[in-house]
Amino acid sequence: MTLKKNTRISFTRHLGKNFKDDYTTLQVYSRDMADLPKLVKPFIGNVPDGVIQVRTKEDMQKIYEIANETKVPITQRGGGTAGFGGSVPYKKGIVVDTKGLEYHFLVDPLELTVTINPSVVFSDLQRQLNLEGFSLCSYPSSFHSATVGGWIAHGGYGVGSIQYGGAKEQIAALEVVLPTGEIKRFTDDTELSLFVGSHGTLGTITEVALKIKFDIPLKHQGCTFDSPAELLKGLKYLAEIEPFSIWFLNPDHVALFNELFGYNLPLSYLAIISKEVSFEEEEKEFNTLFNNAIRSSGGQILDRRYINDIWDFRFKGFTLIGDSPDYLVTEVILPIETSDKFVRKLVSRFRGKIHLEGEMVSPTHYALLIYLLFEEKLSEIKKTILTLKLYNVTTRKTKAKGIPYSTGLWFSGYYSRIYGKEQYKQYLEFKRKVDPKNISNPGKVISPKIRFLPIIKLKPIVKLASKMML
Amino acid sequence: MFMSSPAEWHVDLLEIAQKCVYCGYCSLCPTFKELKWETYHPRGILEQIRMYFSEGVKESVQVEVSKSLFEAIFACTMCKACENICLVDLPLLKVWEQVRQEAFRKGRWNPLLLSLYNKVKSTHNIYGLPTEERLAWANLAGMNMSRRTKKKAPLAFFVGCQASYSGKMGNVAPSVVKILRKTKVNFTILGLDEWCCGSPVFLAGGYSAGRDFAKHNLDQLKELGVERIVTACSGCYRAFKIVYPRVLGEKWDIEVLHITELAEELIKNGKLKLKHSIKEKITFKDPCELVRHCGLVEAPREVIKQIPNVRFEELPSNKHEALCCGGGGLLKLNDSDLVNQVNSRLVSEIKYTEAEIVANGCPTCKDTILTGVKNDNLDVEVLDISELIVRAMEGEK
Ligand SMILES: Cc1cc2nc3c(=O)[nH]c(=O)nc-3n(C[C@H](O)[C@H](O)[C@H](O)COP(=O)(O)OP(=O)(O)OC[C@H]3O[C@@H](n4cnc5c(N)ncnc54)[C@H](O)[C@@H]3O)c2cc1C
Ligand code: SF4
Ligand code: SF4
Repeated sequence: MTLKKNTRISFTRHLGKNFKDDYTTLQVYSRDMADLPKLVKPFIGNVPDGVIQVRTKEDMQKIYEIANETKVPITQRGGGTAGFGGSVPYKKGIVVDTKGLEYHFLVDPLELTVTINPSVVFSDLQRQLNLEGFSLCSYPSSFHSATVGGWIAHGGYGVGSIQYGGAKEQIAALEVVLPTGEIKRFTDDTELSLFVGSHGTLGTITEVALKIKFDIPLKHQGCTFDSPAELLKGLKYLAEIEPFSIWFLNPDHVALFNELFGYNLPLSYLAIISKEVSFEEEEKEFNTLFNNAIRSSGGQILDRRYINDIWDFRFKGFTLIGDSPDYLVTEVILPIETSDKFVRKLVSRFRGKIHLEGEMVSPTHYALLIYLLFEEKLSEIKKTILTLKLYNVTTRKTKAKGIPYSTGLWFSGYYSRIYGKEQYKQYLEFKRKVDPKNISNPGKVISPKIRFLPIIKLKPIVKLASKMML
Repeated sequence: MFMSSPAEWHVDLLEIAQKCVYCGYCSLCPTFKELKWETYHPRGILEQIRMYFSEGVKESVQVEVSKSLFEAIFACTMCKACENICLVDLPLLKVWEQVRQEAFRKGRWNPLLLSLYNKVKSTHNIYGLPTEERLAWANLAGMNMSRRTKKKAPLAFFVGCQASYSGKMGNVAPSVVKILRKTKVNFTILGLDEWCCGSPVFLAGGYSAGRDFAKHNLDQLKELGVERIVTACSGCYRAFKIVYPRVLGEKWDIEVLHITELAEELIKNGKLKLKHSIKEKITFKDPCELVRHCGLVEAPREVIKQIPNVRFEELPSNKHEALCCGGGGLLKLNDSDLVNQVNSRLVSEIKYTEAEIVANGCPTCKDTILTGVKNDNLDVEVLDISELIVRAMEGEK
């Protein structure tokens, strides 16, 4: 326990049993989906000094008040599934677990929005919406574990993003407790943008009005392509038929499907295309457009028997890596136009080990989830080296013009690459105003100084180390 | 006393904990949803297992971690939702059972649990009541079971402790008997020689002790030439279907049926006729032990479908995704408030269907739902499916 006695008393006095700082709780809250390599841990204060289950926005105001007074940083945590370290403390302090936030669920059928607590998990929300005849527009494939607030703060994309946009486009309004303690409702597009992908550094989201749609059935089609170049050409044509989702896998990933389920899928780049279809005519039109797109791009149509099964596997990609003794995962956003060479190089650099899963997040870009699977348990050194190498591959300014998926802890310092210089300027201005002491999730977005080596920043270290390793 | 599980059931806890990819899908855990601290999250429990069982871990750390780990493990209802959704197919139920055994070894069971364990061991029923009262249900229902007790027959009706002793379950056993009699099935019951199936002992992680129960019941059944056994209790069903083969091996060769499976069979071969309509809207709560543990999905639905003009609506979460009632895993003995919290989500789903009858296939579910609907002042009748069958068979309330 490293909180000063008085600080601890302040937290316990106001939060009672919603504050914990026993050894086990602190350890359990010291990681998210991707545990930090052991060699990196000494430089990062990932074990918090306390954990709080925040119940109300008033609790959150109080937490910020104490944090400001005592300069104890806070790190918000939703589902802890982002894997970019956003919900992992960088400078110890308090983890604020949002899971305890009071429950809201209010559908506005005219405006087509639902107002909810940000800690709701997507699958729970979707179930409730479906019961009322509505549906989420876009959602991450971590559907069963990610929270709405975490997805927004992480700036995610997901299933349906090609039609309905990413996290940003789903928001109608946000209620945020700012680090100053002020509770503010935002509806303006420019202001809302600041809270997307900024990892809670500008405040804690306590309520979300999310855009919803009517629950329209989806029809799926599948196709295969022989090479990355053909795949990318195919994606371009397929994007023109305005699908709800385009999801694709590389041949090694398809091979795992075959192995696991006894399928006999062709070992090529495989894509599943889904479209909202309300009536028969629409379905016919979808089929025609799909057939034309495949013909024009040189792909092959996939045996229909498999398509629904593969779609059902949409949220279970990780199942395929279950038997690997070790693995690394990262994600990058790429434009279809310029990424052919990048994908080819990536596949050849990590041949045999690399598994790719892509989702179109706009008509021009796709998110590429990269898994490296290993046949043996990696040593800590090797794991660190490979992690850095993988990060280097995904962050390097290649001709592919790829961008990291999100900042979090690992990619902090890359905010302007993702959102542009202009938005970064606005971000900094807002940050200075609302969080001058930098207590709201420090170390994320703005590249932190490494603990013990305060003059060296994390971003150049990652860059330098990865250059040396390649 | 040393508790152990059979070797083939034993898993390497540390290895499994290390295989968790931390995707968080198991956050659907019904008790984590209420308690919300990550230490109760199945992946958080695995993280604690990693800390507790790591090689060279300091004793002081082990003691510290054990406080939270054992608390979390007994907050589990053994509903199996986590194992069903696990992205990398981890055998989580085996892990949870083994951690309970570790808690026992360390003398860290809650006294109520320990007392249940001792009661079951000494009296062979979960209530610690005298064996002579095991047939009280028949007397209360005015049924003479002497001609059926311990007679040679191909099928045995295993009554189970709750249907035998609990007043709240008073109609369950008589309903099963009515079905069997009406369809002229040649059956027997073990009477005073029926021992608890051992479910609570197994759930608490007590394999050596549980094996004695399994062996006793098997010997009794074999003596009567029984080839098939039917039960209306999902806990007994799971024990016979999953645990007995584990602890008895090939000696356990008796076919196990839930009352809904037998009813379905009897309907198919024309022996059971559900002639009377039931005007109330019906919904069905799948017991975790039937659906997730044993994969029994269709039989209850097939039976309900046969009720003339039936108005049936599925609960929003049904079949493999059914919500836990909160009553499993001996949670009642550890935290009855938590049971009520978990149960209130199920009650909201029952409310949503606007059903007037909620049928189920498990005395524990029935008991827990009864409390839940009472707490919520919900006007809904809670029936065991055997009671529902009798109503459709005989046409009276
Ligand atoms: C199987 C799997 C599939 C995935 N698929 C996708 C995908 O398709 N698309 C995608 O975008 N991501 C995906 N991810 C990554 C991740 O699940 C998502 O980004 C998810 O949205 C993160 O949500 P979370 O609740 O777990 O957030 P966390 O990891 O808990 O937090 C993410 C960030 O948000 C901050 N935060 C959390 N709650 C709040 C709040 N209330 N206010 C302010 N800040 C907050 C945290 O501090 C952190 O910086 C996937 C992950 C897994 C395991
Ligand atoms: S069995 Fe059910 S209660 Fe137990 S950890 Fe798994 S999901 Fe939670
Ligand atoms: S679902 Fe399985 S792999 Fe995922 S966090 Fe839970 S236990 Fe781990």
